[in-house]
Amino acid sequence: MAFMRYIDLYFKLVAAGIRAQLQYRFAFFMRIVGMLTSYAGTAITMWVMLYQFQELGTWNFYEMLFLFAIAVLSWGFCIILFFHFRSLDTYILNGTFDRFLVRPINPFFHFMAMKFDVASFGQFIFSIFIFIWVSAELQIHWTIANVLFLFAAVIGGVLIQGGLLVIISAFAFWTTKSEQFYWVVMYPARNLTNYPLVIYPKMVQWFMAFVVPFGFVNYFPASVILGKETPYFSENIGYFSPLVGIVFFIIAYYIWMLGLSRYKSTGS
Amino acid sequence: MFNYRLYWTFAKKSFLRSAVYRFDVWSRLGSNVIFLLMWGSIWTVLYAGREEAGGVSFQAMLTYIVVSQFLSGVNGAGTPLWEIQEKVRTGDISLELMRPFDVPLRYLFADFGSVFFYMITALMPLYIILFFFMDLSIPNDPLIWLAFLFAAFIGFLIRYCIEMAFGLLTFFLVETGGVEDIFYFAMSLLSGSVIPLWFFPGWLASFASYLPFQGIYYIPNAIFIGEIAGNQIFTSIGIQLFWVVVTYIFLRLVWKKASQKVVVQGG
Amino acid sequence: MAIIEVEHLMKEFKIAKRETGFLGAMKGLVKREFHTKHAVKDISFTVDKGEMVGYIGPNGAGKSTTIKMLTGILVPSGGTVKVNGIVPYENRQANAKNIGVVFGQRTQLWWDLPTIESFELLKEIYQVSHSRYKENMDTFTEILGLDEFINTPVRQLSLGQRMRADIAASLLHDPPILFLDEPTIGLDVVAKERMRTFIKEINKERDITVILTTHDMEDIEQLCQRMVLIDHGQKVYDGEIAVVKNRFGKIRTLVVDLEQHSTPLTLEKAEVFKEETGRYWIRFNREDISASGVITQITQTHNIKDLTVEEPEIESIISRIYQEGFDGVEQPIPVKSGS
Repeated sequence: MAFMRYIDLYFKLVAAGIRAQLQYRFAFFMRIVGMLTSYAGTAITMWVMLYQFQELGTWNFYEMLFLFAIAVLSWGFCIILFFHFRSLDTYILNGTFDRFLVRPINPFFHFMAMKFDVASFGQFIFSIFIFIWVSAELQIHWTIANVLFLFAAVIGGVLIQGGLLVIISAFAFWTTKSEQFYWVVMYPARNLTNYPLVIYPKMVQWFMAFVVPFGFVNYFPASVILGKETPYFSENIGYFSPLVGIVFFIIAYYIWMLGLSRYKSTGS
Repeated sequence: MFNYRLYWTFAKKSFLRSAVYRFDVWSRLGSNVIFLLMWGSIWTVLYAGREEAGGVSFQAMLTYIVVSQFLSGVNGAGTPLWEIQEKVRTGDISLELMRPFDVPLRYLFADFGSVFFYMITALMPLYIILFFFMDLSIPNDPLIWLAFLFAAFIGFLIRYCIEMAFGLLTFFLVETGGVEDIFYFAMSLLSGSVIPLWFFPGWLASFASYLPFQGIYYIPNAIFIGEIAGNQIFTSIGIQLFWVVVTYIFLRLVWKKASQKVVVQGG
Repeated sequence: MAIIEVEHLMKEFKIAKRETGFLGAMKGLVKREFHTKHAVKDISFTVDKGEMVGYIGPNGAGKSTTIKMLTGILVPSGGTVKVNGIVPYENRQANAKNIGVVFGQRTQLWWDLPTIESFELLKEIYQVSHSRYKENMDTFTEILGLDEFINTPVRQLSLGQRMRADIAASLLHDPPILFLDEPTIGLDVVAKERMRTFIKEINKERDITVILTTHDMEDIEQLCQRMVLIDHGQKVYDGEIAVVKNRFGKIRTLVVDLEQHSTPLTLEKAEVFKEETGRYWIRFNREDISASGVITQITQTHNIKDLTVEEPEIESIISRIYQEGFDGVEQPIPVKSGS
């Protein structure tokens, strides 16, 4: 019952958020252009890098694009749902966070539903374009099972990256900083996963698999679909992506709630 | 008249100010190390055990990346693009127009202060250790060192002029989304910060050679590892000097337009 | 019947020390020291249903910390709080339904949306029934003139309009208790008056208990019968406003700039308490003598170049209470010990 109420409320709050965002149409449009530009930039960098060398380890240009596109797609959904978590510090510092605490609903839910950043069209256009182009080049055979798996892996990726955003925002409860943590933790982590994990030292690979499980966002699932080897890891590890996502997000939620109770005892 | 003491004060103030934000120092250093790890790994795997590729030894290439990351640490310690944009939007910069100093120079000197702080507290210790423990190629000739330091400094000025000019564009554009992404892309790829120009496809390499960005990373890095040597050093630094003049004039033009706009429309 | 009970309320914060100088800055990179700040030391009071209480003190006295503990935003370090029978920090959501909160400087409305949409969202959040929502909206529209700007995005409202919208929003769910934090800050005289009338009216007609923090003496004089005065996290006074007003609120300060003078300035029923190169600060009691009375006295011996009359600020009243105490008037109500 409470659950249904929250679903209903979520849609109402989110619809309000979208209407608010659409008040700034030009900014909205420019953000999409900006995102497309920067993803195209990374893709071009990959192409230039492989112009002389052909392969990065065992990965060729198209395989790397495929890997990259999975990350971009799930990041797109992540932006829609969780991107505003990184600026929790601003809400705390200027006191606007308190308004989430004087209302009779779950503050995590309220904060999450406050914004719904629909400017992720850039990510969707980019990743779908890459999927189509690369599928032809690599002759990926799309079966229903494959598509379902990709879908599940993207959900896993959204939960993992969203979970990290939630944890980063929770830092604001202890340190009054979150935006900066985003740039220290999230930004480098996302950049690392733009390239196949296999190129990094073993310790980094373990870290990206079991501590900050970004390996499950794209590298492990892409390895399953493309049939690439994953040294140090079982070749089927990619199938755990959705599960890892769920577990990681639940942990993130509890860290956030822990931070909130800390906030309530310190005030800032 | 150029008032040395005033600008020196800006540098000193910003040096002391950066000391207060200890988190900034550690966080920048942290992500600098992560990107070093990333590009170091990428180049190690690209070389795939080969001693050399395209006439450049693996050791030289690795040195190129390490030097490049050091320089991007230096360049990244100044006022970032978004902060300039923020200052434009909030009107802070418009207010400074009323003060008796030159605003672009004031920010340059403030950057000197914060960069120096970051260099001595974080970058130098880390990179000295890296050079000590990693098998990198270090120039023996003190003149090469001198040329490198000079080229790196000019590169810093070029980057400053371009970044500040881009930041000031905020005066004219409501939303700079696409523009700043193009800036970041040019900054990372066309400057040769992660891939040296000699590995570029021919047409892209010549395209990049007509742009100012190569002066920021590519030229100092290549001087350091000896890929630019002999008389080439002079021509390369000549190119840099040309670009620093051009970008400086560009910055002044944008600044003049921006200040006119402030005076006429009140920001 | 007490609707708010606060006993021995305490709140401590840890604050990082900032080192100065170059070496201090270097040290700060590695280690930072903390000291404890007692924002609220030991405060007790009760508020009865339907009361309107001014909760007053200088900046940093612990006002908003107390309000945050009453609204469930902060957990106290010691003591107990009960709001309408609920412990706010233990049962925040239930408490939230019982209270309305307005922060004068920060809106609770959706910044980019037409004002009406904020009301509609709050209706959902607080689960206000449709009929009740409509009734309330009709009433508020009538008294506060919401229809002037109901379709305007909140960011385009004037401060006065925004405050009206904010206070209406805080009352949509018929809370028995209303917390107003600086509700008239920054408003012009007309808007302030309108705000006060509305607050008075809902207090009277709906029997809503109001806790009000403000820096504006007028607010308190017009709205509250009782005030709780705090400073440095402690209660300094709790009682009728009339007492404070009689004792301190009637003191005015006249600042005059005088031309070159040979005779010293001597005044009856007024005293010079500060003098600085031709400028005099003169204190008088409005009941003993009028401002023009003082001015007449001065003009007999001196030429006035410029003058202003200053009303007492809360800060100065409090500092005077600290200096002079309530001797001969009334002792501050001692903090209750035990129950």
